[in-house]
Amino acid sequence: MSRAHVVVRGTAVHVPGLAPDALADVVRVEPDACSAEDAHKVLGRKGLLYKEQATRLALCAAQRALGLPPGRVTTPVPGAERTAVVVSSNLGNLETVCTIAATVRTAGYRDVSPLQTPNASSNVIASTLAIRFGLTGPNVMLCNGATSGADAVRVAARLLRARRADRALVVGVEPDDEISSRLLAQGDDSQEARPLTAAAGALVLERADDPAGEDLLVTSAGVVPPGAGLPAAPVAEPGQLLLVAAGLAPHPHHDGSLVVDLTARIGETYGAHGVLQAALAAAWLRQLPAERRTASAGAVCGNAADGYASLALRRGPAPVAHIPAQQPVAAVLATAGRA
Amino acid sequence: MPATLTGYEARSCLGDAEETFRGLCAGRSGAGRLGARFLPDEVGVTSSYEIRDDSPGLAHVHRAAALLGQVVAGAAARAALDAKQLRVVAIVGTGLRELAAAERWHLDGSPFSATELHFGDVVRDALPGVAEVLTVSNACSASGYALALAQDLLDADEADAVVVAGTDSLTLSLLAVMGRGSAQPSEAVRPFDRDRRGVLLGEGAAAVVLEARPSTRPGAEPALGVLHSVGLSCDAHHETAPHAPGIAAAMQAAYDAAGVTPADVGLVVAHGTGTALNDPLEAATLADAYQSRSVPVTAIKGGTGHTSGAAALMSVIVAAQAMRSGAVPPITGLRDAIDEAQGLDLVTGAPRACDATLAQVDAFGFGGVNAVALVGAAT
Repeated sequence: MSRAHVVVRGTAVHVPGLAPDALADVVRVEPDACSAEDAHKVLGRKGLLYKEQATRLALCAAQRALGLPPGRVTTPVPGAERTAVVVSSNLGNLETVCTIAATVRTAGYRDVSPLQTPNASSNVIASTLAIRFGLTGPNVMLCNGATSGADAVRVAARLLRARRADRALVVGVEPDDEISSRLLAQGDDSQEARPLTAAAGALVLERADDPAGEDLLVTSAGVVPPGAGLPAAPVAEPGQLLLVAAGLAPHPHHDGSLVVDLTARIGETYGAHGVLQAALAAAWLRQLPAERRTASAGAVCGNAADGYASLALRRGPAPVAHIPAQQPVAAVLATAGRA
Repeated sequence: MPATLTGYEARSCLGDAEETFRGLCAGRSGAGRLGARFLPDEVGVTSSYEIRDDSPGLAHVHRAAALLGQVVAGAAARAALDAKQLRVVAIVGTGLRELAAAERWHLDGSPFSATELHFGDVVRDALPGVAEVLTVSNACSASGYALALAQDLLDADEADAVVVAGTDSLTLSLLAVMGRGSAQPSEAVRPFDRDRRGVLLGEGAAAVVLEARPSTRPGAEPALGVLHSVGLSCDAHHETAPHAPGIAAAMQAAYDAAGVTPADVGLVVAHGTGTALNDPLEAATLADAYQSRSVPVTAIKGGTGHTSGAAALMSVIVAAQAMRSGAVPPITGLRDAIDEAQGLDLVTGAPRACDATLAQVDAFGFGGVNAVALVGAAT
């Protein structure tokens, strides 16, 4: 297995209706992220019929992360045949599935539109991204709960290191429809239940055998199963950016770090959270002044029911000793402590 | 690197892994009237390949999760795998997750939570100590994709063992879109047959334990077989229709990763869904890859129905069982093959003697997600 590095080549944070100052201390986020209804302003008009909210937002975020100008893409993007797609979303097609079921119960199958057929399959977001941008590499849809976004980044990094693709488009997205919000509130203790915010984050990752000094590297990732505490802080030194899981205080060593609870800032983004965190971390690292050659940013997402997953990104010379993509879980557990 | 299949289990409408293989060899079909949880008039579908409601452990539960828990525990037991002692990761492939329970929650208010949509809890219960559980929702090739990700994990030495599984039950919504899309209800899946009427959903789960080398643990059964490679691709062409270049790319990726050519392959377990679109396209792509070479081709969905997220692994287990037993099960439901399959050596009627040591297993899913596995006999 290759010990190649994984670098970030593009990011997008697409949160319709985001307050202008919500993330101002972290990074400048596009203030005019369009809603799913207005997705044609980014994507062009064709091909959006019966596309769900999550799919539309995912397409918008992907278009920007790939560096494409607004308008419909008509030919495969450069390098499309070796580009993988990894998407994280838990609730993307829940409303459609429940609505079809209700239609069947009240009126029968003949009232179900055949145009809804693709949306009955949970991987519709990942396959729609592939079709629109012509991406024929491995196409993976993760529906893995609260850690799903960080899981998607980890899976994409593995696909690159295994040389199944040269580039990976990673998208995390959730809708904010009433059915999805209601399901997410079920069986959760009231402290964790927050209304959903429709949001999409995207990253473009590439494998780099010899990264340049200014490249942003995905350096480490770890998971901790539920009931086993919290993961070790993904960045060790103070003065960095630390994106924390909802409601969790930072590690005490992180005095002087910029600590961001994205859920407190913008609302519950569930399966999109880890990708949004990674995209923000990359954007923050990229806008640091040039004289700050080395910097790190870490993120932890998850919840008590699904466990936690962490990511770390770094700007600066590649570390001499490669840090494995996934720390041995026992090591993470040994250093995990209540924050 | 090749990885060893150190444990396995399955549940289909034909029974557990051994019962399923014997049933397929006997030409049995598990098709029957649609289960009592659905009304044929509501969904426009009359038949399915479901597991009987009175089967052990299936009453009043989330069925996809219940079946998954059974096969994960069964596969781990055969491998004598203790997830508390080793670094074990589980990867679950599924088409429909537990959306059937989400539908009941929406319609009737049955208890359900977002955490139950994916399969972390049930796998952690069946496999105490498992370090990580990933739910991959990749339609009808989901467990083939899971198998590929598992092999990469072993290659990177990020796990000592990976439990790869697939599971699916039926949903009201998918039945309805299938009913809406079919001119006349199908009563059986007939892979590669002129008289095929389309696919029917099957219910089932399958799991294998994948390790870098054969197990020497006390109590472990002999290895089932060896996974040589999994080729992945995406058509990037159509939301529901398959596309020959994408299918061929997945096959080529599998050959390349294993360092073999079709001349090395002695058995094909085809995707074979009995649909208008898949079967001619898959047959033509296979005929193109194998040229005039006579390779036995079988398919299991005439017996098990289309078990969606579990289908790829069910076929992987059957391929390994065929090489181990020396008998390839026939294609249940096939009587008169389509023109595109004339160049293929389709196994019909009775089991075929088999001395293959390398088998190709096809799985193609909605959205053009393709996974082709090459499985070898145990060494």
